[in-house]
Amino acid sequence: MSAKNKSVFTKEEELLLQDFSRNVSTKSSALFYGNAFIVSAIPIWLFWRIHMIDVYSSIISFIIVTLASTYLVAFAYKNTKFVLKHKIAVKREEAIAREVSRKLSEDKKMSRKEKDERILWKKNEVSDYEATTFSIFYNNSLFLALVIFISFYVLKTFSPALNYVLSIGIAGSILALLSTGTK
Amino acid sequence: MLRRFLFLLSTLIVAIQSAEENDGGARLLVSKQILNRYIVEDMDVIVKYTLYNIGSSPAVNVVLKDNSFSEEVFKVVGGFLNIKIPRIPPATNVTHITVLKPIVDGFYNFTAAEVSYQNSDESAKVQVAISSEPGEGYIVAFRDYDKKFSPHLLDWCAFAIMTFPSLAIPFFLWWSSKSKYDSFSKPKKSTKDN
Repeated sequence: MSAKNKSVFTKEEELLLQDFSRNVSTKSSALFYGNAFIVSAIPIWLFWRIHMIDVYSSIISFIIVTLASTYLVAFAYKNTKFVLKHKIAVKREEAIAREVSRKLSEDKKMSRKEKDERILWKKNEVSDYEATTFSIFYNNSLFLALVIFISFYVLKTFSPALNYVLSIGIAGSILALLSTGTK
Repeated sequence: MLRRFLFLLSTLIVAIQSAEENDGGARLLVSKQILNRYIVEDMDVIVKYTLYNIGSSPAVNVVLKDNSFSEEVFKVVGGFLNIKIPRIPPATNVTHITVLKPIVDGFYNFTAAEVSYQNSDESAKVQVAISSEPGEGYIVAFRDYDKKFSPHLLDWCAFAIMTFPSLAIPFFLWWSSKSKYDSFSKPKKSTKDN
């Protein structure tokens, strides 16, 4: 977020933004790594069935490349999520405030401060959820599209084993790079 | 060079002599062709033998033997490599087709088949002929052939099925949340923003 935007934020939003750290919870980290692993392993099928890579002699490279790509994709998920979470939080603010107020309208005892905290908490939760799901969707699509494009067009003439290492490696790196660049 | 010329001359003379000797009898021209454009491991190879009698009398007891396909490289799928044709009348074509399957890949020299026959009904002399040679060919490994020519539709379908959950599930979750909150914010914004 730029300094210009920060000055516009209210005190509650500043508090909320402090909760928005880059560190993700264990649960969400497991979700990211699990997804990244699945999406990194799926292209092996393409290389096995269509590029006709020799499976037995490439097992070691499958393991190494899949792990490296899992790390890169998970890294991209985290960065994209971090960027998106702020944007979504700002966008959803009004709707969430309305939803929470409507739910709490009968509860007259609750103080305004408590209500605001509820709204902040809900906003955090919703933006976290939306950012996580969209980040996974966006990075998965981009990764698979890059792998198909690189392996079938750019590195078409390479040997399958080299094609595999390079196309997954390049796709993972581009993904990681793009996720840091959109800040 | 001179040696070569002499050799050619002598073969020509022998050929003319034998033609003169056979004059009036049956004479078979034998061609052996491989009809496939690509010879691929584990896929059918069609071999066509054409026997044409250019002589003036029928060829009798024609035996076609092809020992050029080694059992370690080819297996016969249909037809026979050794056949017997009782009679080929003059100016008549006979074709015979055999289907083989290469079991290994690599270069293979396709050599000639042998044909033996009797010149005429009366002649007891057995004439031996050799077919044309298709020459050296390359048996392409199935993996390479498949890689180049197969559309891999099933493989792509399987890939689509595998990737579908990892794309559709996050998208659906995001979409449902987005549309839920978009609908919340709509009533007031509808006139201004959207």
